[in-house]
Amino acid sequence: MAAPLSGKRVLDLGALCAQRPHALAASMAARLCAAYGADVVRPLPECGEPFAAYPPLLPEGGSALDRFLNLGKRRGSGAGAFHAAIGDSASLAAHGRGVPVRVRFSVFGPGEDPPMSELGLLALSGLLGIVGDAEGPPARLAGHQPAYAAGLAACTGLLAALLGGGGEVVEVSLFDVAAWLNWKVAAGALMSGSVPARGGGDWDVIAVEDGHVALVYQDRDWPALCDLVGDPRLRAEAFATRARRIKNRASLMAILRTWFAPRTRAEVTAAAQARRIPIGPVMWPVELLADPQYQTRSFLAPDGMPALPIRLDGERLVQEPAYALSRWPASA
Amino acid sequence: MIDFGWITAGAATSTLLLDLGADVVKVEGPGAPDPFRNWEGGPQDGDWWNRSPVFAFTNRGKRSVCLDLKDPRGREAVLRLLDGADVLVENWRRGVLASFGLEPAMLRRRFPRLVIASISSQGEDGPDRDMVSFGSTLEATGGLAALMGAGEAPVFTGRDLNYPDQVVSLFASGAILAALLERDRTGQGVHLDLSQREMTTFLLGEELLAAAAGAPSPRLGNADPTEPAERVIRAGEGWRAEWPGGAAPVREGASLTSADEFKRGTAVLWTPDGKPAKGILFRLASRQLTVREACHPLGADNRAVLAEAGLAEPEIAALEAAGVLSYSPRRLPSLKLQPGSRGA
Repeated sequence: MAAPLSGKRVLDLGALCAQRPHALAASMAARLCAAYGADVVRPLPECGEPFAAYPPLLPEGGSALDRFLNLGKRRGSGAGAFHAAIGDSASLAAHGRGVPVRVRFSVFGPGEDPPMSELGLLALSGLLGIVGDAEGPPARLAGHQPAYAAGLAACTGLLAALLGGGGEVVEVSLFDVAAWLNWKVAAGALMSGSVPARGGGDWDVIAVEDGHVALVYQDRDWPALCDLVGDPRLRAEAFATRARRIKNRASLMAILRTWFAPRTRAEVTAAAQARRIPIGPVMWPVELLADPQYQTRSFLAPDGMPALPIRLDGERLVQEPAYALSRWPASA
Repeated sequence: MIDFGWITAGAATSTLLLDLGADVVKVEGPGAPDPFRNWEGGPQDGDWWNRSPVFAFTNRGKRSVCLDLKDPRGREAVLRLLDGADVLVENWRRGVLASFGLEPAMLRRRFPRLVIASISSQGEDGPDRDMVSFGSTLEATGGLAALMGAGEAPVFTGRDLNYPDQVVSLFASGAILAALLERDRTGQGVHLDLSQREMTTFLLGEELLAAAAGAPSPRLGNADPTEPAERVIRAGEGWRAEWPGGAAPVREGASLTSADEFKRGTAVLWTPDGKPAKGILFRLASRQLTVREACHPLGADNRAVLAEAGLAEPEIAALEAAGVLSYSPRRLPSLKLQPGSRGA
């Protein structure tokens, strides 16, 4: 599969969206279209590329966000014929007329666009409230997850419209996507009365000698975890069931910490994986650049640019070189 | 569409395509039903396998076939199903598909128009191919957890969100549609090898570029460097998010599902029999997308699906008599058949 959208022209109105969540979501959806081989044109407002000054900023100048989201796109006026356009209500009304497939982002549904931020979307959808320690403040998802997830959903809707022959308006609500991601909380509240709550589980991040590991295990992994740690206190009745482990979490974690603390991430991971316990190291972005798994699969370019996270009959989709659109000549 | 998808990552991918019009046949084995059928570890009495709320929520509307793929007759039957299929989705542990004699390379040769979507935690190859992970393990190994949390320690989303498992189905469904578009042009299917860990890192793309250029990767907590006024503060018993131009309560389950915009929205919809169901992510101008059907009992469509695939009545009856075609699990979900990512 060389490029499934080759020959398709997509109008990216992300730079013209009135609100930042919409702008990020539209830019991600168009970014995916570019990765699938579409000719993506991105008109800019008079003040230029809105992400050009957004963090994270690069030491040599420019924005990593701009470089990531605008890979493979062309700057252009928006004139001409397009197969699809992606934006918010106002930008599509101004530039998307006559485009057969229009993907329109809103906050709560068609035409419902109160002022909103990504933090607000996380709060309202419950995605903020479910993450973090029970005692501490809720923890937001890093990066631009609510907007990017909406961009992924929008790209799926756009591709479905193209496969169906075009002629469609695909409405994507940023709130609906975020609440869809948080379905276990919503379903718990609607179905059983046992509603998941922040910090209510038996998984945790645990400190080791050179950082942290993700302590993740299923009920059936508990005997293997006990074997791994080898502390007879773990065999106590107080930890015999998942419910008791959650109830007695403080004393359980105190025992576990003594085993984990003097070991490295690699030692802990190797020992846990040998027992098929799904524990893994907390890795920083800079460490991923040299990760053997990612290197073997040619996932990250030398400049850190991730490939689309998929291979097709063993091959990566060929993507344009990593140029930042904002550095392209305006005449492009 | 033949759906070997388990738990969320695989099963929700096919549900998304079901909502867009696909005819989805979920195939489970009597020795290896979807672990979501026994997710809460409840009592195994009566037809427990048909009573799991999280299974029904995720798999509503799919046709259900229960077929033993370990038996050569079951393998032959599934090959008949694949002969008429456009898409196969699977997220078993790497190597399990091959152990049934259903290697992707063989399927590609035998069904050149088939789009095979393999969703795994690490991908089809590489030194970590067989690493076991839940979604939250991948948040750690994919770079997300390191950047989260307001305190000294990183934070992951945990068992009740398992973020990578949710978001991967949004991408996988799109990749399948892209492959079908390409097939329309070339007549050729494809094997899609999708790594959930790579997906997690991809959604932090700007952080990888910054790190490669030598910029630091700060753990920002709830702060946003472009909006210094953005914050999460105490509000009575709960918390409140504030940003320039707006504010919102930090909702939990009850306040989420009682909110007006949630009720009007599409994140959770209802089956015709009145049960909550995984919702639909878009509204289309041309037609209303709805949850049309409740969850089918295990094996409810055994006979109809195999008959459509061309099996004669005596063949179907023989499969039933041999226990290859079944209507109930033989035992608890097999511990040997864990999907690549076991998260939900």
